[in-house]
Amino acid sequence: MTSTRKTLDLNDVADTIIVLARELGADEVCAGLSSSSYSEITRRDSQIEQAKESRSLAASVQLLVDDRFSTHSTSDLRSDALRSFLERAVAATRYLEPDPDRRLPDREELGLTEVELDLEDRTWEDGDPVPRRRRAESIEQAVKTRMADDPVRSITAYAWDGRSESAVAFSNGFRFSNTRTSFGMAATVSLEEPDGRLPESWGSCSMLHEDDLWTVDQLTDDLRTRAVAQLGSRPAKSGRYPMLLDRRVVSRVLGVLLAPLAGATIYEQRSCLADYLDKRIASSTFSMWDDPLIPRGAGSRNADGDGRPTALRSIVEDGVLKTFFIDVYNGRRLKRSPTTGSASNIVVPPGSRSVEELASELPKAILVDGFLGGNSNPTTGDFSFGIRGALLENGERVAAVSEMNVSGNILSLMERYTTAASDPWLLGSWRTPTLLFDDVQFSGT
Amino acid sequence: MSLARPDGAPGAHFAHLGVSPRVLQRVMNAALSRGGDDCDLFFQHTQSTSVALSDRKVNQVGTHVDLGMGVRVVVGDQVGYAYSEDLRPDALVAAARAAAEIAQTTPGRTAALPTARDVIDRTPVKRPWPDVGIDERVAMVRSWEQGAFSRDDRVQRVEAYLQDAASIIMIVRPDGRLYEDYRPMTLGMLRCTAGKGEVRDSSGHNVAARAGLEFYDPSRQDHLIQEAVDRTIFLLDAGKPPAGDMPVVLAAGPSAILLHEAIGHGMEADFNRKRTSIYADKMGARIANEHVTIVDDGTIPNSRGAVNIDDEGNPGQCTTLVEGGILRSYMHDEISAKHYGVSPTGSGRRQSFRHAPLPRMRATMMRSGPHAPEEIIKSVEHGLYCVSFQNGQVNIGAGDFSFYMRQGFLIENGRLTRPVKDVNIIGNGPEALASIDMVGNDMKLDEGGWTCGKEGQSVAVSQGMPTVRVSSLTVGGVG
Repeated sequence: MTSTRKTLDLNDVADTIIVLARELGADEVCAGLSSSSYSEITRRDSQIEQAKESRSLAASVQLLVDDRFSTHSTSDLRSDALRSFLERAVAATRYLEPDPDRRLPDREELGLTEVELDLEDRTWEDGDPVPRRRRAESIEQAVKTRMADDPVRSITAYAWDGRSESAVAFSNGFRFSNTRTSFGMAATVSLEEPDGRLPESWGSCSMLHEDDLWTVDQLTDDLRTRAVAQLGSRPAKSGRYPMLLDRRVVSRVLGVLLAPLAGATIYEQRSCLADYLDKRIASSTFSMWDDPLIPRGAGSRNADGDGRPTALRSIVEDGVLKTFFIDVYNGRRLKRSPTTGSASNIVVPPGSRSVEELASELPKAILVDGFLGGNSNPTTGDFSFGIRGALLENGERVAAVSEMNVSGNILSLMERYTTAASDPWLLGSWRTPTLLFDDVQFSGT
Repeated sequence: MSLARPDGAPGAHFAHLGVSPRVLQRVMNAALSRGGDDCDLFFQHTQSTSVALSDRKVNQVGTHVDLGMGVRVVVGDQVGYAYSEDLRPDALVAAARAAAEIAQTTPGRTAALPTARDVIDRTPVKRPWPDVGIDERVAMVRSWEQGAFSRDDRVQRVEAYLQDAASIIMIVRPDGRLYEDYRPMTLGMLRCTAGKGEVRDSSGHNVAARAGLEFYDPSRQDHLIQEAVDRTIFLLDAGKPPAGDMPVVLAAGPSAILLHEAIGHGMEADFNRKRTSIYADKMGARIANEHVTIVDDGTIPNSRGAVNIDDEGNPGQCTTLVEGGILRSYMHDEISAKHYGVSPTGSGRRQSFRHAPLPRMRATMMRSGPHAPEEIIKSVEHGLYCVSFQNGQVNIGAGDFSFYMRQGFLIENGRLTRPVKDVNIIGNGPEALASIDMVGNDMKLDEGGWTCGKEGQSVAVSQGMPTVRVSSLTVGGVG
């Protein structure tokens, strides 16, 4: 908020934290500083509903004291407060039991992959709310015009943009920093059904660069198509159907596959996939990888959470599991080489046929394009989610569906994976096309 | 380490936060400089500590500090919001000016010099966390681990976690009202992995309250261990229920997640003010069976959802939402209360100084009804009895909601038979509420650490419920 803060050098603060923590007795230190500016406009009923301005600065600290490890964070960076914060942090760490596997990565493990990821839109400027206000206004107006003949109860439009900068420094001398911007637009519309229900739909687009954003018309067309499609939704009959999983919501199901691949889950013996490395876990037509090096990608990064260089990594290749997500700590505990602790951009390659072509060959199928609640169990691989979407017959939408559940086990579901459509979604960190699974359990009426 | 409660007379928070009444007045004048109708300043200083046990070692500790002020300027039902983590006067004024941008350039107003008002303390602490050493915390989580291993030899792994936090809050209004609040919180969690033959599964239990170390008396610790182990062992023999529509009996306590998702969110007044809630036109109408009375209560001493004052400075209170089946009130913040011409219900809550307040739940409960729990189970020929839950979600407008059952039993011919686990249950909120046809006489406030998410903000809540029968819900089972 103040000029003092704007000009603050994040690296200087990180260095101060490292020096102070070492003075207080820490053997190794990693200090991360992040500073962000974010502004958002919400419009409803032809006026601004909320204008929000955020300016944030916070520090996170990892300490190693006598083979004991701890993590801390603070947004109170006044110099006296910072000192007493670190004093408490070091003192608290000394009460732990030693854990020799808990160390910061060695200097030679740390590094950046030298690829220009173009994560910052340099045209972003702090301060001028007018373009954002105009964008929100034009979204609201466009939805109103486009949906003038639909039973609209309420429209809300959003526009936002921001920039965040982070600097990470290790006491062994390694340091890196990055800056990323974000621009976004969204709208929600609430429609009125004859029975009094008010189903709500949303359309949204968020990108790192302003010139990659959708046009307002693209957003509006997408929103209207989805909003109108769910009118009159009801549960369909319980049974087993082929499932077309819409490209925007693939993460909800494939996330069930990723959870048991985490190093901590494997170490804690809570993973149903711990024994499956280099074994079949899916139909041989299924492949998926993690690509952190896509320019302008939502999840792209030059270094991972441990500060190690990133690389493209195959997760499943022709149905065979090729990697786990193992960070440095869990690598030491599991006595395995670390890979990376978390996913960045998940990619499933598109197929050659459109969703419509795939659907036209199915006498009956359920298209799932939204989820409502539910959960999964990484220890067993079982999942159960609420869904909404459409009942299709020979490619025709015969009914909108909601208030249904989809349930099963991720291993048997992946075995019934058939193919991918030709429509990859490229707006988020899950870059996946619509996927087709055969013989999936749905419960409804 | 948690923060200690500031000592002394009203006004002690000024010194703690390093601001004076004059500075506060200057910041509010900046907030109202463009003619806003109202404004509030929300100061927060939170410190929390966590210790965690994994792999038979207490090998993780974390400390976290959050400090800042959020300023909201209100014009009609429009809101300008900004915050600062820097509490120096110039930074606070700059945030106030940013929030003031929402208002038109009209002559500004001036704020009164604030003076502290009384706040009822519903969250007294006997053993404050700042006086509890890390070694005492370490010894406690270690005893939970040992208790879990000795309770059942099928337990193979244990993770334990203890967190405590305290927030010093100061809320300032332009009419001179100033409220100081001290908000403690603690959560204890125990997770077990157990195995029998080829079968392995994990579960656990957690307990939470706005309290100090005294919360963890020997009986509570025993209960935490017992629940964590028993809930895990239960899963080893549990299967899947059949899929489809069936009568569902919800056990007392955690089943209140149904209330929270199916009914609670739809009664938050902002959704009704915006006409997007399915309950928007139902005030005064019958929406449930005569045995159904639902309240949202911020006054339960030391409960996780207890509110001395809400985050706009209004006193915590108990709001009757549904009385004998009739919709009586929504949960209001000041903006919705003004819109509806009623008093705020003390429901204006926010995650932190980084967010504007919204109408939120506190402790949402259904009052006890006339039926014995055994009688309710006996009344079902074929159905599902739900014991524990993990999470839920709702579409406010369409009314469809779901909640994920971790543990339950099939009901066959009026008796609990096969154990079942891990299914999602889905339904329509108003229909589910109208289908509650039996209400038990055994209302129980759940002790778990429930957190409610809305519009990107998380707040701590409690929930409670007697045993109830819902005549039909859709169960995500097999076959």
